[in-house]
Amino acid sequence: MPRRGCSSACANVSPVRLDAMDFVITTLLNALTLISILMLVGLGLAISFGLMNVTNLAHGEFVTVGAFAVYFVQSMGGSFWLGLAAAPIAGAVVGCILEFAIIRHLYSRPVSTVLATWGVSLILQQGLELTFGLGAKPVTPPIEGTLDLVFTVYPAYRLILIGIAMLTLLGVVLLISRTSFGLDIRTVIQNREMAEGVGINTRRTYAIAFTFGAAIAGLAGGLVAPLAIVLPQMGVNYLANAFFVVIVGGVGSIGGLVAGSVFVGGLTSILNYQISPSLAQAIVLLAAIVAVRLRPNGLFNGASR
Amino acid sequence: MIARDRNWLLIFAVCVALAVVYPFFAGGYQLTVIRDALIFGLFAASLDFFWGRTGILCFGHAAFFGIGGYIMALVTLNDAIPFGSLLGIVGAVAGAAFVAAIIGYFLFFGGIRGSYFTIVTLAMGVICQQAAVSWSSVTGGDSGLIGIPPIEFDLGGLHVDLSQDLPSYIFVTAIVAVVVLALWSISRGRWGTVLTAIQDNEIRAAALGHNAPLRLLVTFVLSAAIAGLAGALYVCMAGLVAPDLSGLLLSTEVIVWVAVGGRGTLLGPVLGAIFIQRAQQTISSFNPSLWPLLLGCVFVIIVFVLPDGILSIYARLKALFKGGRRAQ
Repeated sequence: MPRRGCSSACANVSPVRLDAMDFVITTLLNALTLISILMLVGLGLAISFGLMNVTNLAHGEFVTVGAFAVYFVQSMGGSFWLGLAAAPIAGAVVGCILEFAIIRHLYSRPVSTVLATWGVSLILQQGLELTFGLGAKPVTPPIEGTLDLVFTVYPAYRLILIGIAMLTLLGVVLLISRTSFGLDIRTVIQNREMAEGVGINTRRTYAIAFTFGAAIAGLAGGLVAPLAIVLPQMGVNYLANAFFVVIVGGVGSIGGLVAGSVFVGGLTSILNYQISPSLAQAIVLLAAIVAVRLRPNGLFNGASR
Repeated sequence: MIARDRNWLLIFAVCVALAVVYPFFAGGYQLTVIRDALIFGLFAASLDFFWGRTGILCFGHAAFFGIGGYIMALVTLNDAIPFGSLLGIVGAVAGAAFVAAIIGYFLFFGGIRGSYFTIVTLAMGVICQQAAVSWSSVTGGDSGLIGIPPIEFDLGGLHVDLSQDLPSYIFVTAIVAVVVLALWSISRGRWGTVLTAIQDNEIRAAALGHNAPLRLLVTFVLSAAIAGLAGALYVCMAGLVAPDLSGLLLSTEVIVWVAVGGRGTLLGPVLGAIFIQRAQQTISSFNPSLWPLLLGCVFVIIVFVLPDGILSIYARLKALFKGGRRAQ
């Protein structure tokens, strides 16, 4: 059963110096932390849901697996950075197996994909619980302490998180726009039959793209592990939020992903100051629904349908 | 088509007959077990009415069950409200329908179908459960509300008191039978035919003059209202309401009941709910964390082995024997 208590993706940091400038910068950085994580989780979802039309309800478990990878490496005496390197690998392995065993057989049956991936999600959650036991798992950040940013003081690890997320996103943009594999992906997305016609192995391209998305989600799980409550059931919150990102932002472009993340992450972290996290979630859901009603193709892609 | 209707009515009559004779053979405790299972069966039928007829999967149906349950609990626990039981049921049905109408309006008229709808309702279920936990001044938080009285009301000189096992069993059975029959007649009539047309090709159905979003919305609202009714009945029978009633696990389980029982049959989901809960109680008595694991496996098995539910085994066997005979 999904445990309670991890209702938002990561908690806010309170401002220290209590003046207006401090408040603004801290709020911005809090929002940026959440936005970075949502972008990484949403990226894989944008690939599978937005482009391959596969509704993967086990996507949240890639985040969980990444977080558990960091926990596992740390508990074996390894460093956080080693764990963070293991996180995307763990996500990729799970994603690759999932694609190979289940998703590729169900490309033409969307409702079946929903049911099967949800089943896999339950199996993974219970599997993790049976392996690692009940209760939250402690993960220690690699750097304790804060960094002095003239106007405010902010935890150093969160700044690192934002930096890694931005670099990863930049890497993905370059991968898709500059490499031949990126060209293959763009071709398959635009027209699958034509792509096959010019000799691209679309099955392989799908499989690699899906695994890649899982790896990025695993990395997000590893990054967020020191800030979040690491539980086998933690994935569902990221799943719901990441789907909002993709739905609100619209599919098919990095710009949409960024717009969706800014919308969901920004709204959530600002609302979290004023009201309880679950009420904030409800408002974000309502806002997302209204946004979809007004801009069916996503914030980024204009109003036309 | 006619033969199929006759078969359905035949099975329905057999089920009702079994439900009628059951109290003669079962004790009070067994009656309450079946009664509670029947309420969940009603819940499953409500999901099937929407999912089976429109092909759109609602992944947060327990939200409506929970909303109905909480409204019923709050109304009956408040001494200032007269006719608590009746008003509670009305409020539960209306509350669930209202939430469904708001969410459904934005989604259906916004052109949201298929997977998108599934995701948004999934999120809705998550949020409802969180709201039930965190709004503790009203909902009692994690531990929920206890001491909800049994249903009791006077209607036109008839005094209904469901504090005993047998009357409550009869009441629930009657409601489930009537609602399932009503849903069936709606879905086999013109309304259901149009829904099937919309499911097959919405653009074509719209071109023929059917207001597809409105049809979907009304179906969704009706489905949610019945889920709310089931929730209201359940909390009165159980005497308590807890956040789990609107949770993701219940939303998941109801999908399994419908999928195993056979989507679109209305009766199958009721039977599926009864049998699977039976299995769940047995399995959970060994090890409580084993159940979600098995549930996950059931999902995967349904998709790959039995996409049309348990009842399709019969049809397949029939086809197998028919094929064999033809080959001879």
